[in-house]
Amino acid sequence: MHIDRLERYWLTAVAAMLGSFVAALVVSVTVFGIRLPSPVDRIDPQHLEETEFAEPGIRAVGGNRYEVHIVAKMWSYDAGPEAGAAGAPPVIRIPNGSQVTFYVTSRDIIHGFYIEQHSVNLEVIPGQVARASTLFNRPGTYKIICNQYCGAGHQTMYGDIIVE
Amino acid sequence: MQATLSAPGAKKMDFPPLAMLRSERNLIGVHIITALIALTFGIFMGPFQSFHRSPAFVAAFPDIGIPVFSYYYQALTVHGVMNALFFTTFFIVGFTYYVTQRSLERSMKNVAVGWIAYVLMLIGLSIMLATLFAAPQQSAVLYTFYPPLIAPPTFYIGLVLLVVGSWLATANVFFTYRDWRREHPGERAPLAVFAAIANYIMWDIATITVAIEVLFMLLPASLGLITTTDPQLGRVLFWFFGHPLVYFWLIPAYISWYTMLPKQAGGKLFSDNLARVSFLLLMIFSIPVGVHHLFSDPGISATAKGIHTILTFVVAVPSFMTAFNVGASLEYAGRKNGGKGLFGWILKQKWGDPIVAAQLVAMLIFTTGGFSGLINASAQLNIAVHNTSWVPAHFHTTLGTAVTLTYIGILYWLLPMIRGSALFSKKIALAQVYTWGIGMFIFASSMGQAGLDGAPRRADLSTSLYLNEAAKTWLNASAIGGAILLISSILLFVNIVGTLFSKKPVEGSAPISTTGDSTAPLFLERWGVWIGVILILALIAWGPVIVDTLDFTNGFNILRFTTNGSPY
Repeated sequence: MHIDRLERYWLTAVAAMLGSFVAALVVSVTVFGIRLPSPVDRIDPQHLEETEFAEPGIRAVGGNRYEVHIVAKMWSYDAGPEAGAAGAPPVIRIPNGSQVTFYVTSRDIIHGFYIEQHSVNLEVIPGQVARASTLFNRPGTYKIICNQYCGAGHQTMYGDIIVE
Repeated sequence: MQATLSAPGAKKMDFPPLAMLRSERNLIGVHIITALIALTFGIFMGPFQSFHRSPAFVAAFPDIGIPVFSYYYQALTVHGVMNALFFTTFFIVGFTYYVTQRSLERSMKNVAVGWIAYVLMLIGLSIMLATLFAAPQQSAVLYTFYPPLIAPPTFYIGLVLLVVGSWLATANVFFTYRDWRREHPGERAPLAVFAAIANYIMWDIATITVAIEVLFMLLPASLGLITTTDPQLGRVLFWFFGHPLVYFWLIPAYISWYTMLPKQAGGKLFSDNLARVSFLLLMIFSIPVGVHHLFSDPGISATAKGIHTILTFVVAVPSFMTAFNVGASLEYAGRKNGGKGLFGWILKQKWGDPIVAAQLVAMLIFTTGGFSGLINASAQLNIAVHNTSWVPAHFHTTLGTAVTLTYIGILYWLLPMIRGSALFSKKIALAQVYTWGIGMFIFASSMGQAGLDGAPRRADLSTSLYLNEAAKTWLNASAIGGAILLISSILLFVNIVGTLFSKKPVEGSAPISTTGDSTAPLFLERWGVWIGVILILALIAWGPVIVDTLDFTNGFNILRFTTNGSPY
C-alpha cells in the first residue's frame, strides 16, 4: 500500500512523540515514585464498625509518618472527633514535613477525595478502600474537596488540612 | 467521480443529485429533527450551568436560575443525557442512513425495520424526557448513572430502547452493505460506508457491557428486585462502553472531514487508503483503553492502568493520521484556490462558507482537545486533573466542538436537502459558527484553568465554600464563554426554524462519493477478522480488570457489597 514520503515522516514524528510520552510516564513512576491508586482491600460498607474505619482519624506511625482514616458519606467526611464536630467539615492538623497516607472509604454512594495542590485524587467507592500518600512540606491550609457527584448536597462536602 | 457500476437487476434507486427521494427523506428527516429536539433540551442548559457556577454572576443576578429544569443536577443530567446520548445517537443513525444509501446508491435493506428502530428510539426519548421532568431529584444521576445512585426504572428503560433501536439500525446498514458487496465482488466500498461499518461494529460490541450493567444491575435495583450493587463493577462495565462511545460520536465527523470536506473545500482527499487504516485503528483500539477513565479507582490494578495508558497512545495515532491526511487535502484545495507560500493555502480556505468554516473551526479546536486528551490519558498527570473542571473543558473541545460543530456543518446542507428548500441565512450560519468557536475557546480554556486550580466538575458551585480566588476568577471567565455560546445556540435554532419554513429552492448537491479508491487492499474489508481482533484485545485488556472486580474470595457474589442507597 502506497504511503507518501511526507506522511511517513509525519508518522515517524508521531511515534517518536508518543514514545517520549511513554518514557516520561516510566520516569514518573521509577524516578519520582508517583503511584496510581491500586487495590488495597475490600470492605463491607454496611459494617464499617467492624473494620479499621470504626474509629476514623489521624494516627502517628513513627517518625514524620502519619496515617489518616476517613469515612465519606452524604455529605461530609468523618475524620474522627479530633477533626471537629460530626457532620461539619473536618479540620485535620498535620505537622509540616509529614508524609501522610490517607485511607478513605464510603458508607453510602461514590464520593471523591481531592486535596488541593497535592497529588491526591481518589474515587471513594463503597466496598473499596482507597489509598493515597503525599508529603506536606509547605505550611498552609489546603482544601479537601469531594469531586465526584454524590447528590443534592455534593457542593457542600469538603474539609481542611492545616499544615503547621 | 467514476460512474457507478451495478449488476443488472439490482435494487437500484433513481438518485437525483439535489432533491432527496421521499422514502429516503422521511426516514432520515425524522431522525435529524428528533436529534434537534433532543439537542434543544440539552444545549440550552449549558450556558445557564456556567452562569450558575460563576460566583460573580450569582452575586450580580441572584434570581436567575436554570430555565425549565431548575434543579442544578437535574439540568446537568438533561444536558448530558440529551446532548451526549440522545442527540448524538439520533443524528448518527440518520446521517449513517444517508451516507449508506447515497454512497451505495441503493435503498436500505429493510425500510420498515428502519421505522421500527426509529419508533423504539423515539419512545426511549419520550420516556426519558418524561422521567427527567417528573422526577427531578431521583432522576438526577447524570449521564454516567453510576450505581449505587439509582434512578426511576423509566430512566433505564428509556436508555434500553435507545440502544435496542440503534442495534436494529446497525443491522440494517450491515445487511444493506452485504447485499451491495454480493453484487460488487472485487470492488472497494466507498470510504464513507467503510467508516460507517467500522463505527457500527464498534458500537455494537461496546454497548454489550452497558446493556449488561443496565439490565442485570441498575434496572433490577431500580425495580427493587435486588437490594445491592457493586459500584466498582458498574464503573468498569460503563467505561468499557464509555470510550468507544466518544469515537462513535467522532467517526461520523471524520466521515464528513474525509469524504465530504475535500470536495466542499474545492479539492480532493489526499489518501483514501490511510483513511481506511485510520478508521480500522479507531475501531480496534477504542475498546482496550477505557481504564484511562478509571485511573483514580481503588479497585483496579496499577498494571491494568499502565497497559491501558499505552494503548491509549496507540489510539491517538489514527487521529494524528487524520490531521495529516485532512490537512494535506485542505492544503491541496487551498493551493488550487491560489494560496501561495508556506501558509497562504490556509488563508485561501472557504472561511466564508458556513459548511466549510464549521468544520475548519471544529478541527482547530479539536487540536487542543487532542492534546488535553493525551494529558488525561497519561496516568500520572491524570491525578492533577481527574474529576476537576479540566475534564468537561476537554470534552467540550472534542464532543462539544469537534463533533457538534461538524454535525452543525453537516446540518447546514443536510437540512435544506431534507426540507427541499435553501438554508434560511448563510450569514446567521456563519455568525453561529464563529461565535461557537470563540465561545467554546473561552469556555474551555477557563474551565481547564479552573480545574487546575481545584474547581471540581459536576458541582453546583453557586453556594460552595471551598473555591480559591484563582478558581473563582476562571469560573467567571467561563461564564463569558457560556454567554457567547448561548448567543450561538440561539442563532443555530433561528436558522433551523427558518430553514424548516423557508420557501427558497435548494442549491448544491450531495457531497458524497459513490466509489472507493481502487488501490485500497480488499482485506481491509475482512470485517470478521477485525471483529476477532477486537474481541481478543478486549479480552486481554479487560478480562483481568473484570476478574479483579468480581470478588471470588467471598464466592461469586458481585452483588454483596453495598447498600443500594439513593441519596434522597
